[in-house]
Amino acid sequence: MIVKEWCMYCGECAGVCPRNLIEVKETVLVFDDEQCKECEICVKCCPIDALEKN
Amino acid sequence: MIMDNKIGLIVMIETDVLVIGAGPAGSTAAKHAALGGAKVILVEKKSEIGAPKRCAEGVSKEGLKLLGIEPDPRWAVKEIDGIRLVAPNGTDVWLNDEIKLPEAGYILERKVFDKFMAMDAGRAGADIKIKTLAKGMRKEGSGYVVTCETMGELFEIKAKIIIAADGPESHVGRWAGIKTGTKAKNMESGVQFEMCNVEMEDPDVLEFYFGSLAPGGYAWIFPKGNDIANVGLAVIATETDKTAYQYLLDFVDNCPATKNAKAVELNIGGDPVGGMIKQMSDDNVLVVGDAAGQVNPLTGGGIISGMTCGMFAGKVAAEAITEKDYSAKRLSAYDKKCQEELGSKLNKYLKVKDYLSSLSDSELDSIADAFQNVEFEEISTTELIKKLIKVSPKALLKLGKLF
Ligand SMILES: Cc1cc2nc3c(=O)[nH]c(=O)nc-3n(C[C@H](O)[C@H](O)[C@H](O)COP(=O)(O)OP(=O)(O)OC[C@H]3O[C@@H](n4cnc5c(N)ncnc54)[C@H](O)[C@@H]3O)c2cc1C
Repeated sequence: MIVKEWCMYCGECAGVCPRNLIEVKETVLVFDDEQCKECEICVKCCPIDALEKN
Repeated sequence: MIMDNKIGLIVMIETDVLVIGAGPAGSTAAKHAALGGAKVILVEKKSEIGAPKRCAEGVSKEGLKLLGIEPDPRWAVKEIDGIRLVAPNGTDVWLNDEIKLPEAGYILERKVFDKFMAMDAGRAGADIKIKTLAKGMRKEGSGYVVTCETMGELFEIKAKIIIAADGPESHVGRWAGIKTGTKAKNMESGVQFEMCNVEMEDPDVLEFYFGSLAPGGYAWIFPKGNDIANVGLAVIATETDKTAYQYLLDFVDNCPATKNAKAVELNIGGDPVGGMIKQMSDDNVLVVGDAAGQVNPLTGGGIISGMTCGMFAGKVAAEAITEKDYSAKRLSAYDKKCQEELGSKLNKYLKVKDYLSSLSDSELDSIADAFQNVEFEEISTTELIKKLIKVSPKALLKLGKLF
């Protein structure tokens, strides 16, 4: 997942990730890309369009 | 030092209760667990509790009173004495008698409030570990071991009871096998500017705007001063192709009150509005606040409900520690208490939310028209819904049996 530089680390993406794969640090998002099934729910829900599929 | 990186020894700290997340729900849980005599650690991943805020900052006076919290002018920055409901065509309904709406009463400064609540927990005896991220956990013996990271170092905390207060991210409950994640259709995407130069009709009144300007949610102007307000909205992302942010820019452009307003802060965040999760505890684990969906689905307000359930969780955890019984059966007293206090109310509001979301702009306009001739005896959510049922045959059909 590409995290755009305007991401504000609010964590909404982590809450909707059906596989619990997104770790939200204070200013870093860590995706478990290996387990990701690319459902893109996180991309859809981001309030500021800060995520993009690789 | 917590970990000796060279030889890879990870330090393990032991405690009775570990609370993960120092939002209002977590700090309240930590405070009450500590007051009940338990040894408590509260971990928070951020470097500043309460910041950045993800909230419009409205709370009820009644809610604070029930929690035994005296309003302090350092965090209760504005008193509210009315609400204004605005239909898509601009028709408005004013209610400014004695407010009983869940989110009316005070506007908070969350950055200060959340810190004060954590300080209360600290003063009650809880140890607070700031800038400490819980990364995962495993069951071990009679409790859980949680791996934490602080300033690039790893360490572990072994606790008999974990209180998962990690907000809408809700990782912790899921690590314990509890279904806490939020489906996209139940997550409101919120976005807000704090603005000055806002020309409000009345700076003591909360304004709510309904209709297609915020699909699945609503827009708000919550005053924090004479010309200062939180101006925001929330949408259900699956109901639209535009982002919440794009909706907010449109709203600010089109709303007369914000034509000349200037943003000094941008806030964003998810708000789980699908109702309380069915199971909120298990062996050694309790889930509180947004992580457990303890949010009013109609308003999106979760501060008071999360703190109320946080208080129940802290008390139950302390009792369980005294009794040395951390089983799912013992901890289910927490689920029971939350259901008794909030369960049926939140379920009803969820149905009202679903109903309101199904209305077109013109239907909302006609309801606002019909409200012009209605006398409100009391200003509460239930009263509003009762009156809605009176003026709208469709509402009567959908909600008549509930209220
Ligand atoms: C735009 C918007 C407007 C809102 N407006 C209102 C309103 O006006 N009134 C109202 O009552 N409610 C409102 N809400 C809801 C309200 O903000 C939440 O219900 C409330 O903050 C929930 O409290 P909480 O303690 O459960 O979670 P949070 O306040 O989210 O706190 C959770 C804490 O856990 C920390 N954390 C998360 N994961 C970890 C981890 N792994 N390790 C360590 N720490 C962790 C986070 O950093 C955070 O500090 C709004 C929400 C949004 C998004």
